[in-house]
Amino acid sequence: MRLHRLFPGIVAATLAACTSTSTTTPGGGGVTPYTVAVFNGNLQSSLAGAALVTPLTVVVTDVNGATVTGAQVSWTVASGGGSVSPTSSTTAANGRASTIFTLGSIVGTQTVSATTASAPAGVTFSATAASSGPVSAPLLIASVPTPTGATYDHDTFVRDGLAFAFMWNAGLRIYDVGNGVNGGSPANPILVGSLVTNTNGVPGGAQVHNGWWFHNQVTGQNKYLFIGQEGSCGAIGSCSVGDIHIVDVSNLAAPVEVGFIHIAGAGVHNFWMDEANQTLYAAYYNAGVVKIDVSGTLSGDMSSRITKQVQPGGPGNTYIWGVMLSNGTLYATDMLSGFWALDPATLATKGGGNNVPERYGSDQWVYGQYAYSGSWGNRGVRGNAVKIWALDGSGVPTLADSIIVPNVTTISDVAVTPDGKMLVITTEGGPGQGLYVFSLANPVKPTLAGSSITSQGLHTGEVAVINGRTYVFAARDPGVPEMDIFDITGLVP
Amino acid sequence: MTRRAVATLLFAVTLGGGAVALPAQSGFGVTPMAQGILVVDHSGAIPGGGGLTETRLVQPVLMAVAHGFGNKLGFIATLDFEGATMKGGELTPGAWGEGYVDRRHPHTTVHELNVTANDLLGHLDGAGRLSVTIGKGFVPFGTDDPMSRPFVRYPVNHHLSQLLERAVATLQYDLGPVTVEGALFNGDEPTQPSDWPLVRYEGRWRFGDSWSARATVRPLTGLELQGSIAHVHSPESRPGAGPDADKTSVSARWDAVTPKGERYALVEYARTSELTGFFVYHTFLAEGLASRRRLRASYRFERTERPEELRLFDLFRTQRPSPDNSILGISRWSLHTLHVAYDVFLRERKLTIQPFLEGTLGSVASVGGGVFDPAALYGTDKVRAFSVGVLVGWGMRGHRMGRYGALAGGMDGMPGMSGMKM
Repeated sequence: MRLHRLFPGIVAATLAACTSTSTTTPGGGGVTPYTVAVFNGNLQSSLAGAALVTPLTVVVTDVNGATVTGAQVSWTVASGGGSVSPTSSTTAANGRASTIFTLGSIVGTQTVSATTASAPAGVTFSATAASSGPVSAPLLIASVPTPTGATYDHDTFVRDGLAFAFMWNAGLRIYDVGNGVNGGSPANPILVGSLVTNTNGVPGGAQVHNGWWFHNQVTGQNKYLFIGQEGSCGAIGSCSVGDIHIVDVSNLAAPVEVGFIHIAGAGVHNFWMDEANQTLYAAYYNAGVVKIDVSGTLSGDMSSRITKQVQPGGPGNTYIWGVMLSNGTLYATDMLSGFWALDPATLATKGGGNNVPERYGSDQWVYGQYAYSGSWGNRGVRGNAVKIWALDGSGVPTLADSIIVPNVTTISDVAVTPDGKMLVITTEGGPGQGLYVFSLANPVKPTLAGSSITSQGLHTGEVAVINGRTYVFAARDPGVPEMDIFDITGLVP
Repeated sequence: MTRRAVATLLFAVTLGGGAVALPAQSGFGVTPMAQGILVVDHSGAIPGGGGLTETRLVQPVLMAVAHGFGNKLGFIATLDFEGATMKGGELTPGAWGEGYVDRRHPHTTVHELNVTANDLLGHLDGAGRLSVTIGKGFVPFGTDDPMSRPFVRYPVNHHLSQLLERAVATLQYDLGPVTVEGALFNGDEPTQPSDWPLVRYEGRWRFGDSWSARATVRPLTGLELQGSIAHVHSPESRPGAGPDADKTSVSARWDAVTPKGERYALVEYARTSELTGFFVYHTFLAEGLASRRRLRASYRFERTERPEELRLFDLFRTQRPSPDNSILGISRWSLHTLHVAYDVFLRERKLTIQPFLEGTLGSVASVGGGVFDPAALYGTDKVRAFSVGVLVGWGMRGHRMGRYGALAGGMDGMPGMSGMKM
């Protein structure tokens, strides 16, 4: 064959190679010896009786290794009870077919087989069913993906069986995880409503980062949700941008933005509230700690409601990550200047500060006479430490000890369960990234009780108790951005 | 240095050396090309402080450049094996992009694969030539790929001055000394050597979400002026949810073959703006080459800004896409690089063996605020780097990678270009 006759074929093959893979279709004479292999979903765990988070998926190939389109795959529960749906599925153009496996009631290993007419031996999936009692390790029971095209799930606020997921430019998404409004549960979150807040002229979009559903203890109203917008202004440590957005969630199915709070040259990060006094405390990065009166009706530009503002580390040395009110003291973690104790009325410094010089600070939690603060990134030393602070009678912190988490660069969120038994942290930036749960039997010497290492880091972990069980609502990093819900009930007796 | 790397080099050279450039047969011709560089790199600016020396096989490529139907059709396929020979990247002070930092990332295995239909209108547009290029390859933006320039280590500005490895459709019109191009492509960068451009993602088109335009003028023989702009949608988030980048580039390039040897010079300025101007990175680069007999000497100066992002446990890596839109700051790299090479030609000058030395001196500084402190990260703000090695190549001399249609000089009787690595 002359070479020039080959050329159009080369061109066609070139274009085809950009977009497709080799496939065959069944039929055409006799039984073709296909191969059925596990593609995804093997070796999952969940509570007995619950549906597995990830569908069971096989890929069917022919003797040449090409994927087969249109092959019938039969799914059969081989052991442990439970059910699959559908019981038969057809391979798509990529040679894959899937089913959902709902575990049976028997605790232990349960199996499902997948076969085709030409591969009767098929392949077997195994799953582990846990009892509804205490778990022995953090148990992933549900994963809620971000909407199509979204990159980030950043944080979650859980209250009254509702999970408010803050999904960056995909906005706020409200899920019923036990409230009853839509029949959802932690294992089966059901979307109630959503809203993409205004950009307010901030480059990058809505950038919905975090929030707090305000239960006004004076009026009894649960009307307002405060949302933090984490914009970009150039560089961590020097500037920030992004407003507090005020959303009316009286109708959960149709939340409405009603107002905002703006500080020129600064952007907001995390919140805490003194609901009895109708006060919102905001970590405001380079603007420091900000105290806001949120009493009465909130509408329009509410920036005048800012009553106090302080930069604990001083100008150029303040970049506040988080705040928390506990036992009459307002605690603040500064990425640059460490862990602070402030007077919640005046925001005057009570103690602490400039006490973590080797690392950037991150999140915090205070429980009883101890506080725990995380660390972030690389400041010459990796942000792999949880600092443990002993609090004196006036709430002033003194460093008592540290936990070093191997193979990570950031402790991105810190929380203590309401019963004070477990310290929960999320980590990022290394092969050790994921969820860690420590026993606080000795609060100054936490011991690791269990962990779940994840393929992407977990940016935040919100602890919530729903119907007597303890869960962590974690925001998984880009790559697989989603809200992962872990059951940690009884992990520490 | 792995056995696989050595095997790849031998394979590339053997294949290149064994192939024969086919003469035009009924308007059809294929030119095979190959290259590999065995290099020992030392960098004195590595995260964590100290220095590091590594041996790698870099830029191992096999190429086939074909034309048919009397140059009406052109075809380029380039395979790049860096995914096998330098998975962790090449030590390169200041390099960044695609999740690598202070190391240059490996390129995708299928580096180029495209077809060009030349002079679509024939005589209808007189001396003008309208062409279309479709496939995977370089976007018409900026300057030549560093792989086909005199230095082994890439400049810091690679991600500011070139756009590559995209699914791209380019419309080009060439008339006399002027060539104008417009292109549509997918904005997403690859994240690993096996990646293909995302043409569609979850029902949405990524192909066509980004565009570029370039004008090239050749007012005098050997002199080429270029200006280009591009809008790139979400380059660092493949699903398309990251910030966009707006890019501009201008450059002047001169090359000539004189009785005393080859001469080449390039001056370029480029600018990339992200988030409608919140992050802006500038680069200025000037480089030149002079050869005399078999000796080639090249000098490059660049001053380039790059983002400083949150690093992973491996301090040479950053997360892609970033967990949010914030960065630690912007650094500015001011580097002087000297490259000296000696040519050994075999097989009628098709086979080149070129031992070389390359050294870089300079500094890095933080600009524009933020917490990034080069002295804290590297233990110094001085940059020292040194490379020694040997380049082995077949047939690539004169090839300007990433240029298609009328700009694909140096091949098949088109205007030859000097100043290349070989």
